[in-house]
Amino acid sequence: MDRGKVSVAEPYLPPSQSAPSSEFILARLGAYWQALGVTDPAQVAALSEQALRRAAESPELPGLNPVMRALVAAGELLDDWLARALELPRTSAELVAARAALLSGVVPDWPAALFAPPGEVNSVLDALRAARAEPTPPPSPGAMPAQRIDLFWLLGPLRRLWHREPRA
Amino acid sequence: MTPTVHPPIMGHTLRRVAFFLLVLLTTLIAMGLMVSVFQTDGLSPMELILLLLYAILFSWICISFWTAFMGFFVILTGRDRWAISRHPGEPPESAAPPPRTAILMPIYNEDSERVFAGLRAIHQSLADTGQLADFDFFVLSDTRDPEVWVEEELRWQDMVRALDGQGRIFYRNRPENTSRKSGNLEDFCTRWGGHYRYMTVLDADSIMKGETLVEMVRIMERHPRVALLQTPPVPINRESLFARILQFAGSLYGRMFTAGLNYWQLGESNYWGHNAIIRIQPFLEHCGLPKLPGREPFGGDILSHDFVEAALLRRAGWEVWLAYDLEGSYEEIPPTLIDYAKRDRRWCQGNLQHLRLALAHGFNALSRLHFSMGVMSYLASPLWLLFLMATGVNAYFQAQHEPVYFFGENWAPVWPVSFAVEMTTVLLVTLTMLFLPKGLALALLLKDSRLRRAYGGMLKATLSVVLETLFSVLTAPVLMLFQTKFVLAILMRRAVGWPPQQRGDHMTSFREAAQTHGVQTLIGVVAGVLSYQYVPAFFWWFIPVLLGLVLAIPVSMLSSSIALGRQARALGLFLTPEETELPVVLRYLEENLQETEPVLPVLHEKPASRFVQALTDPYVNALHRSLLPPREPPGKRRRHYLEGLVHQLEEEGPDSLSAAQKRDLISDPDMLLRLHTLFWSRPPANAGMLP
Repeated sequence: MDRGKVSVAEPYLPPSQSAPSSEFILARLGAYWQALGVTDPAQVAALSEQALRRAAESPELPGLNPVMRALVAAGELLDDWLARALELPRTSAELVAARAALLSGVVPDWPAALFAPPGEVNSVLDALRAARAEPTPPPSPGAMPAQRIDLFWLLGPLRRLWHREPRA
Repeated sequence: MTPTVHPPIMGHTLRRVAFFLLVLLTTLIAMGLMVSVFQTDGLSPMELILLLLYAILFSWICISFWTAFMGFFVILTGRDRWAISRHPGEPPESAAPPPRTAILMPIYNEDSERVFAGLRAIHQSLADTGQLADFDFFVLSDTRDPEVWVEEELRWQDMVRALDGQGRIFYRNRPENTSRKSGNLEDFCTRWGGHYRYMTVLDADSIMKGETLVEMVRIMERHPRVALLQTPPVPINRESLFARILQFAGSLYGRMFTAGLNYWQLGESNYWGHNAIIRIQPFLEHCGLPKLPGREPFGGDILSHDFVEAALLRRAGWEVWLAYDLEGSYEEIPPTLIDYAKRDRRWCQGNLQHLRLALAHGFNALSRLHFSMGVMSYLASPLWLLFLMATGVNAYFQAQHEPVYFFGENWAPVWPVSFAVEMTTVLLVTLTMLFLPKGLALALLLKDSRLRRAYGGMLKATLSVVLETLFSVLTAPVLMLFQTKFVLAILMRRAVGWPPQQRGDHMTSFREAAQTHGVQTLIGVVAGVLSYQYVPAFFWWFIPVLLGLVLAIPVSMLSSSIALGRQARALGLFLTPEETELPVVLRYLEENLQETEPVLPVLHEKPASRFVQALTDPYVNALHRSLLPPREPPGKRRRHYLEGLVHQLEEEGPDSLSAAQKRDLISDPDMLLRLHTLFWSRPPANAGMLP
């Protein structure tokens, strides 16, 4: 291999923009909300606006460009709503499971519930609770000690004879 | 609880005494004939070796023969007073709540679609019994391949949704697959075993009828001293000619062998690793497997754990039974000769490990015999090869020996004594022991018209047995060379890996067949030329072995043919009862594979990569994150390693990462979320996966 040559192949992901335009950020956010199931353009716009505000308020994190921060904020908005509505701790496996349940299609029109007054979304929340993945039952631990297996050894009987306990 | 063993029953002892006496007597008679052939001018060292090899191999055949013979009589008479399924046992406490049973399916990089279709079929069959509520399902994944891992999670979620299995159908993927399958089961037992009284262990391709599962629990409840109940899995569902021949043989002869095994083993039976129900408490107490001292292949993890677990349960005084007459227990077998050999390679190392356990302290005599039988299933091949080679060499020296007719001043010639009759007798006895069980199994069909029809009628069943016998004669030398190679590799401490099985039907190409069987064909040709040249008399006896080797490539290719398998089925050949009348549980499986639409929209399409989908698709990403076990944040070194992988992914794409690296990336929840946002912030050009 000629080590002097540098590969000029296109990188798999396009290079990160240090200062992306707000149109680009909004476009990515819009695409993301749509992938999450928000199809109403007005809802997309409103949620994107909230996400941008939240991203601007959040501290800068190393390794996250402005687009990523906006996308993280969008996810956090969703998690906030889920945590509040389902009364779940903000950072918990249950919350991630609730997010998965929400995105699985079990509640087809969930964005409407997001914007609805609190009392009117009970059926949606029940469906979410029921659809939350429960991969394992609660633990019921038991010990399984490794058994002793004395393998055959040609000089074993002699050794046992040698190490025999003296008689009382 | 420390159970008391059944008091020794005269009948139990009599059965075993009769069995071992028959094995011993038959071996002694055959040995007597051999000695009379060799003894004319004293035993040469070569003849001594031959005699020793023959003694070992013949007694091995005898065990198999007399087992089949006893099974024949059990089925013929229909009487087996100690069969566990017929023994009433103790009536269970009527007030006690029904026991809970976990159905476990340990998997490792398997075809997820088939795994979950099978599990669904079992679930549906159990639902038909009305006792579904007493069972929970666990998919215990040891899968390492990230593509398969993500697919499994989606299939599991789909099954839960489709069958309303929330809180009853569980899934977990172990972060490390320590101690392989036995470690996988141990992990279940130590984490959730306390919820259940029994666990039914399946294999990835196991299918069991709901009624059978319920009946197994009923038997266990009535026999509180039984720790393990094994059912005989019947091979099903394959379409290639090779697999259909094996399915036919396994089905027709298998039931006789298992009946015979139970006849003399009774409550000291063995465990075959799946399609068995286990009482969890004694399993927890007595089946924790130690690491064997020394290096692999003989040291380290116990690979064929099933035999050892049965032996440990027996050592602790519990009973292990084979419910040979319980139907509705199925498994799938490798579709081609090469896949069959691959499976043998995995099993061989584990079975040879038993060599050390057969003489270990404290095990029951029958457990030692099980270990030895496990060893002999693979050691028999190199011993047969050695026997054939020694016979050839001996024949060569005999051919060089000029007979002397006149000794000293004797005028009358001394004719060499012919032992053709004795030799032919030895050969006939050996062949009878090998092939008579097939005839006996066929004869049993005469007793049962329903079964006879299920095997395609007497004529077609007979033709199938003849063809199966010819096929087994052709493939036996090939398997002998395969297994000899595996045994030698293991003895030379070249450990075998743990490759996943290719379970689905597929054809063997000429290239694959030539690569795999090329050396075997060459050995056949060279051995044929040498024997024809130097020991022509031996050559003719040797032909069945030579033919198998020389024809290995075409036989391997043709037998892998699905078209030939289907044609044979259309002609009514190699039919099994399950093919003639598809059991409901297998119909469920077929429907699940062909017709059932996934509930999850994400499963409607098969993307190029489930790994990339876990990074890009918000639902797949969230589901995968929700299933990751809680873990400590990665240390500095680990963080740097993962960062490096992210950079590699950014620059060179997912194809540049190994399966292990991809797995590392999606095993870390924070990294997974970060990659999700990374991909959405900078969608890869031309990837077509993100808007």
